[in-house]
Amino acid sequence: MSNPVPAHQVLARRNLGDRIFFLALRAVSIGTIALFIGMLIFIGKLAWTSVEAQGFRFWVGDDWNPPMDIFGAAPFIVGTLASSLIAVLISAPISVGTALFLREIAPRKLANVVAFLVELLAAIPSVVYGLWGVFVLAPIMRDTIQPFLAKWLGPDTYFAAALGHGMTAVAYPFLLVADTLGLTEVTLVSLSANMMAVSQGLFDGPPLGLGLLTSGLVLSIMITPTVTALSREVLLTVPDTVREAALGLGATRWEMIKLALMKTARAGLVGSIILGLGRAIGETMAVTMVIGNRNEIPKSLFEPAQTMASVIANEYNEADGMHLSSLAFVGLSLFAVSLIINFLARTLIRYLNRGSRA
Amino acid sequence: MTEAIQKTVQPIGVATAALETKRLSAWFGDLHVVKDISLTVEKNDVFSLIGPSGCGKSTFIRCLNRLHEETDGARVRGEVLIPGAGKRENIYAQGVDPVSIRRRVGMVFQKPNPFPGLSIFDNVAAGLKLAGVVRRNVLEEIVEISLVQAALWDEVKDKLKKPGTSLSGGQQQRLCIARALAVRPQVLLMDEPTSALDPISTARIEELVMKLRSDVTVLIVTHNMQQAARISNQTAFFLMGELVEVGPTKSIFTKPKDSRTEQYITGRFG
Repeated sequence: MSNPVPAHQVLARRNLGDRIFFLALRAVSIGTIALFIGMLIFIGKLAWTSVEAQGFRFWVGDDWNPPMDIFGAAPFIVGTLASSLIAVLISAPISVGTALFLREIAPRKLANVVAFLVELLAAIPSVVYGLWGVFVLAPIMRDTIQPFLAKWLGPDTYFAAALGHGMTAVAYPFLLVADTLGLTEVTLVSLSANMMAVSQGLFDGPPLGLGLLTSGLVLSIMITPTVTALSREVLLTVPDTVREAALGLGATRWEMIKLALMKTARAGLVGSIILGLGRAIGETMAVTMVIGNRNEIPKSLFEPAQTMASVIANEYNEADGMHLSSLAFVGLSLFAVSLIINFLARTLIRYLNRGSRA
Repeated sequence: MTEAIQKTVQPIGVATAALETKRLSAWFGDLHVVKDISLTVEKNDVFSLIGPSGCGKSTFIRCLNRLHEETDGARVRGEVLIPGAGKRENIYAQGVDPVSIRRRVGMVFQKPNPFPGLSIFDNVAAGLKLAGVVRRNVLEEIVEISLVQAALWDEVKDKLKKPGTSLSGGQQQRLCIARALAVRPQVLLMDEPTSALDPISTARIEELVMKLRSDVTVLIVTHNMQQAARISNQTAFFLMGELVEVGPTKSIFTKPKDSRTEQYITGRFG
């Protein structure tokens, strides 16, 4: 039989445990921040030569010519944004739709099985997606999908014309403002011609298989499990009572989905799409394998391109001096793009949430 | 079975019945939670359903607007009759759209559940918009009338654009009542509407229910026997999925016919 320990000693011992736990947590969290800052400093130092030499021109220059020591990263920025945007445009409706199906329509047992399979997609290594993209998707794109798209959306189609006029209409108010302020030499005619050139070129060119569109497609498949799983989680947080409120008011299933689920969960749904976008922006291996790796701004979705991540992966091995420094600058820029998108996402989520905060 | 039929309260005048159930049964999977209930609710009754937890009273009223069947594995058998166009209509008849029934039989839930993404105004207008009312002035008028009916207008008239979830619990519940009233239901089902509220909010809602009587028939499930005694004119006592006794509230509480009812209301179980 042991003597009972006095209460204050038990407390002291427990307080010591608390103290150690607290210090350990603090050490870990400070360590994480230190690591982050350390990496930033390292990349910043490596990139500094290039930052000093190029400055802002780095982001607008469209010529990337290492032998001549000319470094413009615009093609990669465009490639990253374009491929990620394609991925999100394809993936978002599929992912949110799947999540809604799993939440509302599928019987629970089926939903669990499907959810598990979708999450399994996330476990496939990206190099395997890349292999699949190169050997399965690219030939299909080349032989079937791209010719089909060129026929219906390519040059001299109604789609291209409508898109060109539409983009002109959207851009016109900005032109008017700029014109009134005397900032631009662009006229409506030249604006329209430019927009038309873009829309006519979007699905133009030889179907190569590898290129911007294919990489966007592979990315969309890669981010779908993430976005689906997150959307499903978000939808599951909507209380059943809110669903029943809508049903009890005489909402049909679809009306209930709009009124109770989507409205309540919209911020979370946007958040999960943005996380998918973030993943698409940083994805390297699969994109490098299927995007075609050409250091020019693509005019057509069929053309090969290059992303910020893929150019680093492709060139770091034989780079030195200014070239290496410029690659580090690309890395820094990629980091900045991710940060900006994260920030915009947070702003958007806060804006969408303004109604539901008590 | 004969027992159940004996327990049926024969309608005094069929024309005035707001709701009648005939041998209504409900299941969760294999669990038979509502057993052969037949009862009649007269127009403008405040009809309370009392009984211990798990006696099937909540499930019973969730059958009355066909909400029970939304739960996985839930099943219903029997008839529920409500006055339709000219004649009485069985809401479980083949081809009846549950959506149309829920517009006529409104519901207020145990926990206040305003739509989180919507303003106070839009919460009340939600059912009207679903029913296809789009004209702003009509919406504004009905929203005001409903909020007045729910005794909430004075508190929210200056902040109709604020989110519904910004209100206190008691106010949220009155908002939900206003939302249910806005579509002018024939019958209003209330599933323990005050169980999540403080005594003052509870008193306000009880007061409100008594006033609503002239406009709508109310079925209210309650855990609180004093509440049933205070606000209802008819009471039904449920036990283990069966209807034990039904009758005028006064006689249920003063001279119950069934010994189980007596035991329950005198606090010997439940």
